[in-house]
Amino acid sequence: MRLILCIIYVLMGALFYAYPNITRRELLFAVPVPPGFRESPAGRHAIRMFRLAIVAAVLAGACALLLAPAGLANAMAGAMPIAISLAGAVAFWRQNRALAASAQQYTRPREAEMTSTPERLPWYGWLAAGPFAILAAAATWLYLNWDRIPERFPVHFDVSGQANRWATRTIKGVYGPLFFGAELCAFTLIMAVAAWFGARRSRTRPVMLGGMIAAEYLLGLLFALITLQAPLGIPVWVIALAPVAILIPLIIVMVRKMTEPWEPMDPTPNECWKADIFYYNPNDAALFVEKRAGLGFTLNFANRWCWVLLLCLVLVVVSARFVVA
Amino acid sequence: MAQSPRIRIDPASSVPAVRQIVDGLRVLLVEGGLGPGATLPSVRRVAVELGVHFNTVAEAYRQLAAEGWLNLQHGRGAVVVPRAVPAVAEGAGNEGFRNRLRGLVAQMRADGISVESIAGELRAMAKVVKRS
Repeated sequence: MRLILCIIYVLMGALFYAYPNITRRELLFAVPVPPGFRESPAGRHAIRMFRLAIVAAVLAGACALLLAPAGLANAMAGAMPIAISLAGAVAFWRQNRALAASAQQYTRPREAEMTSTPERLPWYGWLAAGPFAILAAAATWLYLNWDRIPERFPVHFDVSGQANRWATRTIKGVYGPLFFGAELCAFTLIMAVAAWFGARRSRTRPVMLGGMIAAEYLLGLLFALITLQAPLGIPVWVIALAPVAILIPLIIVMVRKMTEPWEPMDPTPNECWKADIFYYNPNDAALFVEKRAGLGFTLNFANRWCWVLLLCLVLVVVSARFVVA
Repeated sequence: MAQSPRIRIDPASSVPAVRQIVDGLRVLLVEGGLGPGATLPSVRRVAVELGVHFNTVAEAYRQLAAEGWLNLQHGRGAVVVPRAVPAVAEGAGNEGFRNRLRGLVAQMRADGISVESIAGELRAMAKVVKRS
């Protein structure tokens, strides 16, 4: 199990390592830079320094996880992703500050179609119902096979794969994770619909919607597997690797789709980006705008609906305490 | 397939966004891109697409309604209405428009646009005006 976790964390490190390539060509560490800047000595230096920090963090974390005595292994397993994320965040911030002087304001005219044709979700929008069907199917199977569920079954495992938390065969114990999974899927769906109608039309918008629907499938599948793990005896490593198996192809497809030079970057004003991550522009009616750090879309924090969505997220997180046994 | 009518604004321009929206819509209304009975998209949709505040688009719609181009009814949106051209004596008021045109041409030259290009634009514009 330690080795599997180590592989997952190394893959996580690989994602951070690839980060400079997982953005538009006009952006480097969330700073809008002139075309060709990445290939300049300053651009290459920034990317090299960022990657060095990531490699150092991953190597140190992997050694610590593999060599740690049994008593410390669980702590190491929890600390490693935090350490990689922290190293990535600090390295990102350092390069972001270093490149701030090279920032340039991209600008281009914006167009609006003056027809009253109502905007609709694309044809593949109905696929968003799939994850709910998966969760419902898992719930039905559990209902029909109630006797096959052990009286007491594991719901959490330590780094060696040993169960360290248990639930009992009750409505809350059995269906709780499924209900929580449905809540997460519903929240992802709300975000996807809000992003579709609250973002400017662009060729990246359908890609974003597809990505969010795929993320919904990931959640649905993961929570169905967690719930069926005990009665079907699904190995823990399958549950640990299933999200990775979906996430990696999803990220590859999204990167390929979103970094194609289809159309120039959304020319949001530089001064409205706080720390180049948070967009706050009261004069922009858009609820979602194209991100500067990474791919996809982010919220316009000056839009009041943004706070409604964030409140929904808080409610979903808080509900876990009451829903899951 | 004919392209749907569009307006375009330049966020970097010194011309206020509301003015750019009014001018763009007026061009569509005068040239027939938007005919009587056409319903304009919602204020929210246009504001999102153009990256401006809702009030900016609402103000542009109100200005065009005041000019007699639009009928703004709550719940029905902005609908283009037939507009009678005001009767103006031949030549009256031309002076003001001529001065604005000269100012615009001067601005184009100051921005580095060639004289040939400006003349071409004006000829193309004259053809559109004659047709309408």
